[in-house]
Amino acid sequence: MTHAMSLLLQAANPQLPPTDGMFILFGLIKAGAAFGIYMLCVAYTTLAERRVAAWIQDRLGPNRVGWEGFLQPIADGVKNFMKEESMPGGVNKALFILAPALAFVPAMITWAVIPFASPLPVPGVGLIDMVVADLPVGFLFTLAISSLGVYGVTIAGWSSNNKYALLGGLRASAQMISYEIAMGMSTVCVLLLAGNVNLSAVVSQQQAQGWNVLLLTLAFFIFAVAALAETNRVPFDLPEAESELIAGYHAEYSSMRYSMFPLAEYANIITSSSLIVALFFGGWDIPFTTWDNLPPWTITKTLATMGMYVSKVMFFVFAFIWLRWTVPRFRYDQLMSLGWKVLLPMALLYITAVASMVLALDYAALAREGMAFRGAMLGMNLVFVVLVFWVLDRGRIISPAFSRLERERVNRLRAVAERSDLLTGKGA
Amino acid sequence: MIFDLANPSQLMQALGPDLLLIVGAIVLMLWAAWRPESDEHQRAVGRASLALVAATIAMTLWYSTRGMSSNVGVIAVDNFRWATDLICLLGAFGAIALGMEYNVRERILPAESHVLVLFATAGMMILAAARDLMIVFLGIELMSVAIYVLVGLNRRSPKAAEGSLKYFLLGAFATAFLLYGIALIYGSTGSTNLTEIGQRVVAGNFVAHPMMLAGTGLLLVGFGFKVAAAPFHMWAPDVYEGAPTPITAFMATAVKAAAFATFLRVWLEALPGMGDAWFTPIWWLAAVAMFVGNTVALSQRNLKRLLAYSSIAHSGYLLVAVATGTLGGSAAFLFYLVAYTLASYGAFAVVIAVGREGDANNDLSDYEGLWHVRPGLAIAMAVFMLSLMGFPIFGGIGFFGKWYLLMAAIEAPRPLTTLAVVLVLTSVVSAGYYLNVVRVMFMKARPDGAADPERTGSLTRGVVYATAVAILVLGLVPSRVIGWSRAGVPRAPQIQAASVDAPR
Amino acid sequence: MDRNYIPVLFLLGIAVLTAVAIIGLSHLVMRSRPTPVKQQPYESGMPPLGDARERFSIKFYMVAMLFIVFDIETVFMIPWAAYYRQLSCAVPLVGGACPAGQISFFGLGEMLVFMAILLAGFVYVWKKGALQWD
Repeated sequence: MTHAMSLLLQAANPQLPPTDGMFILFGLIKAGAAFGIYMLCVAYTTLAERRVAAWIQDRLGPNRVGWEGFLQPIADGVKNFMKEESMPGGVNKALFILAPALAFVPAMITWAVIPFASPLPVPGVGLIDMVVADLPVGFLFTLAISSLGVYGVTIAGWSSNNKYALLGGLRASAQMISYEIAMGMSTVCVLLLAGNVNLSAVVSQQQAQGWNVLLLTLAFFIFAVAALAETNRVPFDLPEAESELIAGYHAEYSSMRYSMFPLAEYANIITSSSLIVALFFGGWDIPFTTWDNLPPWTITKTLATMGMYVSKVMFFVFAFIWLRWTVPRFRYDQLMSLGWKVLLPMALLYITAVASMVLALDYAALAREGMAFRGAMLGMNLVFVVLVFWVLDRGRIISPAFSRLERERVNRLRAVAERSDLLTGKGA
Repeated sequence: MIFDLANPSQLMQALGPDLLLIVGAIVLMLWAAWRPESDEHQRAVGRASLALVAATIAMTLWYSTRGMSSNVGVIAVDNFRWATDLICLLGAFGAIALGMEYNVRERILPAESHVLVLFATAGMMILAAARDLMIVFLGIELMSVAIYVLVGLNRRSPKAAEGSLKYFLLGAFATAFLLYGIALIYGSTGSTNLTEIGQRVVAGNFVAHPMMLAGTGLLLVGFGFKVAAAPFHMWAPDVYEGAPTPITAFMATAVKAAAFATFLRVWLEALPGMGDAWFTPIWWLAAVAMFVGNTVALSQRNLKRLLAYSSIAHSGYLLVAVATGTLGGSAAFLFYLVAYTLASYGAFAVVIAVGREGDANNDLSDYEGLWHVRPGLAIAMAVFMLSLMGFPIFGGIGFFGKWYLLMAAIEAPRPLTTLAVVLVLTSVVSAGYYLNVVRVMFMKARPDGAADPERTGSLTRGVVYATAVAILVLGLVPSRVIGWSRAGVPRAPQIQAASVDAPR
Repeated sequence: MDRNYIPVLFLLGIAVLTAVAIIGLSHLVMRSRPTPVKQQPYESGMPPLGDARERFSIKFYMVAMLFIVFDIETVFMIPWAAYYRQLSCAVPLVGGACPAGQISFFGLGEMLVFMAILLAGFVYVWKKGALQWD
């Protein structure tokens, strides 16, 4: 009797969680709607890539199909559906067909645990969390599913019976697993502060303590680099480096089977951006106000926070594209040594530092939400940022084409040459 | 001193020698990688490893004289542990000492070979200390993974590669058996702690419990593989032949000792209540191992293979001690282990001394007339063979080992008279190949054109003569050793029926 | 079972159905006109030389092995990090914070030991050149 009463009360009050039946119904609605919107976003990210690329390269880009090219993704889709599917001799047929799906499916479900707005009160139903699935294992789910993406790429490379594809697939798998470690370790720092792997809890921790990008900049840096490498994007696009490997692991694919790979790639970009936002940029938190963080929840709040979240994610998607058309590609040995010899030790050191700092501040009995705790973390963070960016990396670890070290060496050589009379011809 | 194992710092103290060895081994591992591979570096790391093992032996001896004990916990603090530790550490000392010279001859450059022996020994010490099935698993893995690599140390030898892969695959398979056994035992008793399992088995009457029976059986298979008892011995001859000889000696003695010690501890502390169930299988295992090992060894010409089959037979002898299921049996077990370890080590050291580059010259014909060119080696080898056979006086401690084993078998609450008869009869069969080696060395003329064995390195010579002398001297004063091994029986924390939790 | 997992299953179902639909539909719609040249694996316009699935560099295997080790370390660290406040407190937390004077170094110490062992292995593989690509 009391149970039925409480169920009724729950149903009546939109500030409480919904009943099981309603939860499942809304789960289905959320999953379907979110999937549709997500697919649409992925399609338009391809357009964004081409328009931004054109803009950066000072040309026009696709602007004929529809207003400013807005129907271009649909035209591309139709075109790809009509194309002939190639199936070269010697491929492993089952795996060749399975591989695109294996790349596509994980990319499409990884983001399920990322909260994208404040809870939505639905009258007569209850409070609906604005996340497809608020899993208690949260971040671990993302880590687990995103690493499944390696299978699609590797199997595509192996089954194609093409040397470029095999090399691309191998490179991709080695690169993805290498950077996954740095990625996982950088999030350990976030979890140290949040004390929970649930991403909703991480978001509420940032609402209370301030965005993690301010407290853990180095972790953000490692995570962002690893995310770039995980998505096989420039400057880490070695698996499909066209000047070396034609198209890498999808060299033999055509038609819609081919399209699944770019779809997965763009889906991964959006997911990585969402993760960066959720872990380091406060998720759907609107900065400089606590209005959005506190109940009672309203539809206005949901819409406002969703807008905030989408604009943050769009910024990072833009950053991904911007990077692609700005920086050159790494060499493969540089890529591997960056992952293993720089990011991994850095992450380990940083975890130790953050854990020690948290313990020291707890020992001093500082409240986690207090200004002193946040100030101390910020101070330590600043020290680390300065250390890493101005002291450590002067072209010694990652050597760019032209670094300060190179310049010093060139100047030294020039000085030697000037001193000797060989060049001036006086001695001879 | 009684350690409270729930307290982390006291647990660390109770693990003192183990931690010393592990930390030292990690440091040596880094040092081994620091310089390029060379004979000098390999020897330097070897010397440091010897020093580390010596320090650990000293610490273990110091611990063992303190009369320490502990409450019920994940590890055991008793003399059985220290005794097993000492046997394994002596084995490691021998393997490193022999390896330093063997590696130079066989051009095995990596200095890690000694470090891996240290890691394997750390695994053995953990095994010896384990009073929890999870710790047993940890120790077995640490030991086995290092040994898999050690077997394949000689990368130029196809036999070594074959042995290594064979051992790895079968070993992984056996570990899976062990793990399933652990899981089933945990599933039926709700504990992985040996003492608690023992209590719950008695209290809950698990003798006819199918899950518990299956768990015990799987555990038996897993241990049977690790100690190379027939019919789980198939890997042993190939692996023993392919592995570098010092590692073969290490496997035949220390690995076997550690696996047997755990076997015995698990059986005596956790499963005495299951005695009716495991008595017959172990009885048969022992009989089959003794029979198969000794008869197949008769037809072996390669000394390493011969010793491999001999070690299978000795697994059978040691299983007799397990089958008694008594503390007297475990004293006889420790005594026998000392005798067997010394004799096997010596025999393998002689094989190294007679052998040549490329692991050649291990055939029985290469020992013909050894007496005429290397009388010292021949006499020492004769002592080892007689000791392994259990011959009185000249076999030294080996004779008493078999004697106490027989006594324990007959005095057991469930007398193992038939098994004792099998033991004696198969020992007589073993004379067929042990004495054959002696006959070949002393009574045959050196074949024409046979080159003299190369000069024996001082460390190898040291191991040969030290073990021979130890066998003979201890054979004169066996009471010291038996006193030591009596003190070394596993001391299970007192079983208190009142405190037993109801099994779930 | 936690009801939160159910929407993941919905999402998985939708994603799998979409993937199957895309591949299946495109297979039905397209016209296939295979020619022998089109059927060849692409090798920069040259006739392909032998099978593509040859032996490849051992470095990929080594990276895979190292990955297993370090990924397990990461997986071990994540629960540790999430539980860190409780681990560094000698008594159960009160309202999410440790009572004054009860801070313990257990959590940090355990992880430092773990990291030290792993770091030793890391330094070893580095020194051995397993992380070196040419």
